[in-house]
Amino acid sequence: MAESATHVRPPRRAARRGARPLLRAAALRLAASVLVFWGAVTASFGALQAVPGSTVDALLGNNDASLEVRAQIIREYGLDRPLLEQYLTYLGHALTGDLGRSYQLNQPVTQAIGASLGSSLRLTASGMALGLAAATVLALLTAHRRRWVRAVSSGVELLGVSLPVFWVGILLLTLFSFRLGWFPAVGGDGAAGLVLPAVALAIPVTAVLTQVMREGLERALEQPFVLTARARGMTDAGVRLRHALRHALLPVVTLVGWLFGVLLGGMVVTERVFGRPGVGRLVVEAVVAKDLPVVLGVVVCSAALYIAVNIALDLCYPVIDPRLRGAS
Amino acid sequence: MYRSDRPATRAVLLALTAALPLALAACGGGTDGKAAADGGAPVDGGKLVFAVNSEPLALDPHTSPQDVTAIFTRPVLDSLVALDSAGTVKPWLATSWKLSPDQRSYTFTLRRDVTFSDGTPFDAAAVKANLDHIVDPKTKSQLAASQFGPYKGTDVVDRYTARVNFAKPHSPFLNVLSTVFFGMESPAELRKGPQAQASAIVGTGPFIMERYTPHQGITYRRNPAYKWSSPNAAHQGPARLAQLEIKMLLEDSVRYGALTSGQVNAITAVPPANLRLADRDKRLRVERVPAGTYSYFPNTTNGIFTDAKVRDAFRSAVDFRTLVGSLYFGAFKKAYSPLSPQAPGYDKATETQWGYDPAKAARLLDEAGWTARDGQGYRTKNGHRLTVRWPILRALDRESRATLAEQVQAEVKKLGFEVQLQNVTFNEYLVKYGKADYDLLDYSMRADADSLRSLFDTSNITKGPRLTQNAARYSDKEVDGWFQQALASSDQAKRLALYTQVQHKVTEQAVVFPVYVQSVLLGRSTRVHGIGFDTQSFPLFQDAWITRG
Repeated sequence: MAESATHVRPPRRAARRGARPLLRAAALRLAASVLVFWGAVTASFGALQAVPGSTVDALLGNNDASLEVRAQIIREYGLDRPLLEQYLTYLGHALTGDLGRSYQLNQPVTQAIGASLGSSLRLTASGMALGLAAATVLALLTAHRRRWVRAVSSGVELLGVSLPVFWVGILLLTLFSFRLGWFPAVGGDGAAGLVLPAVALAIPVTAVLTQVMREGLERALEQPFVLTARARGMTDAGVRLRHALRHALLPVVTLVGWLFGVLLGGMVVTERVFGRPGVGRLVVEAVVAKDLPVVLGVVVCSAALYIAVNIALDLCYPVIDPRLRGAS
Repeated sequence: MYRSDRPATRAVLLALTAALPLALAACGGGTDGKAAADGGAPVDGGKLVFAVNSEPLALDPHTSPQDVTAIFTRPVLDSLVALDSAGTVKPWLATSWKLSPDQRSYTFTLRRDVTFSDGTPFDAAAVKANLDHIVDPKTKSQLAASQFGPYKGTDVVDRYTARVNFAKPHSPFLNVLSTVFFGMESPAELRKGPQAQASAIVGTGPFIMERYTPHQGITYRRNPAYKWSSPNAAHQGPARLAQLEIKMLLEDSVRYGALTSGQVNAITAVPPANLRLADRDKRLRVERVPAGTYSYFPNTTNGIFTDAKVRDAFRSAVDFRTLVGSLYFGAFKKAYSPLSPQAPGYDKATETQWGYDPAKAARLLDEAGWTARDGQGYRTKNGHRLTVRWPILRALDRESRATLAEQVQAEVKKLGFEVQLQNVTFNEYLVKYGKADYDLLDYSMRADADSLRSLFDTSNITKGPRLTQNAARYSDKEVDGWFQQALASSDQAKRLALYTQVQHKVTEQAVVFPVYVQSVLLGRSTRVHGIGFDTQSFPLFQDAWITRG
């Protein structure tokens, strides 16, 4: 949904010029972001309430917790207040930047997220960068090449998309960590510990992006301007790098925004396999325990990140495509 | 329940499964003597890296019922008393104690030379602060407080004498007091509130917590001032290891791979599928420490299992010995009693009380009136099918229990049972649990004799908002009476005899189908020596050491 919106928007916005329309666009963006926030918070609040069973049961299980402990939890977290009141209180606090306290972890939500977010972001960013670089190289090498080259490449890409990250992760660990000992399996946050999880994440990213990029390249290579460039005596590599690549990048940028969200959302598997801290594990635990403040906090932060990434990518469009810069 | 091998998301399940009172169970004291013998003279210094298979939701054992919390905090927390492998209570931070004639007050005399690692002296006021902290509703204790029973309060008699008072006799007290869930934390830290305990636990133990990183691990350094070792430890004085690190590696294959490649020195929960390989590996040793029992509980208050003959037919229809043997590669043994065999009070006679007998199962079902068959081959009676509704938490499954359930489903189908395995979420599970909307439930516990009360006493049938652990919803006046006598008796032999009677009766009436005895499978490099186990089968590192190289 979001990616198609961002994809169409740039040309329209670029048609207007000057400072005021730009401000207007910025204001619109901001308003839309607030709506996205509100929607995300409300939807998650609703979803968690719709899960059968009470929060206090989820927290206590069938342990022999006393009725006093039960009452204490209900009182402390305001679980006996009407839903609407709980919802409004939460919204009010969230507006002031107070995401509340975790029911389960005995610490403020901002602190819990702060402790995990950095690790998740480092991993997402490195996986994405690696995937993007690999996809660019692969697409440039295989576009419009002999049929078997493309067939092999497509086959490998299909494999890359289909392999479960979980399995790839264990395979990578077995080979490069347990057998060869090149990378630590349990390295934590150091650069060496980041390599294998980043590769595991980058494999499906590379596969998806290569396909999209190659298609874009092939379309561009059939354009008349390519013929003109070649007629000017430009080398094949020059044509691909200077002319075709730019054309192929636009849909890739759109896709990157969407993939970023997918990666961040699917992080829990990679985090588990590689024993890394991160928001994925934080939120999965929180959902199971109906730890509402943590779930909502992660949703708010993810929404913010997603919006920020997409705004940044929107800014990239005119850089890549001069036709979108508005000016003549 | 098995406090031991619980993957991460299951930490929560643990909340669900954990929690019966402790195991008096065995193997206290550890393996030190033997380990030292095969490893030469203990080495001082070095660092041990240990990997566990689940992560704690709360770090404070006064709050949490989790195994992994116990493993994380035992290195820093000492207890007033210790249990040895025979189930005898021994002095630790308390040098002696006296039970009042009415059996309602325990007066403890404390060691005078103990300090917490933050410098706070250990005294009667610290004992009072800890015990009061456990029952403070703000602590939200999910285990320790309920094990405390009718606790009334603690009097500071003088600086080194504390009197703990109960409203009525509560004989399990000394046993639970020996566990890490009643470990002594620094009162200065406790005063800072629960947020302080979320990031570090400060005690008097052989190690000092340095840094806890959620989802990743925890590091410790040794306490150089330590000279009050547990009576079960092999040596007095500071720990041999200079540093200890515990990592959370939830994926079985990764944890095992990290061990075989030498990236960690020891792990909990060696995957059963890797056991044979591990046993052949000359660089590894696997310690098998019996811990608890995994059982099925039939709902005795509604549905087909209200009939004792149908319950008996179900357990007789399944060849548990073969199923368990092949699924766990021999790592776990078939169970016969809700207590595990090494626990004091285990009734060995239960082993001949029941077993695999499909002919008997068929006969019992005929006698119970389930004689007709429907189109699909299931037995019926008065137009109703012989159906077992069994909610299982597939998402939180561990030890391939869902696979085992499917095999059981296939086995009993031969006898005409229809087993509906209902894949539910944790919350749906709790709703069904609260409403008794099930025919069969499975869970495991670190069963010690006292925990039988949680499982089979009428007062532990869930009613009202509080979920309690009598999943079979079993109610029997005679058994309730035995539990009351056991609670009121400080005579260990008499209590154990009463618990033997309980096991015999619940087995006779088929109100529990014990499935397997679970063992902690601790894998270690042969460089590592001296890891011991407490009576709850949690690892102890006070005597551990590691050869250089």
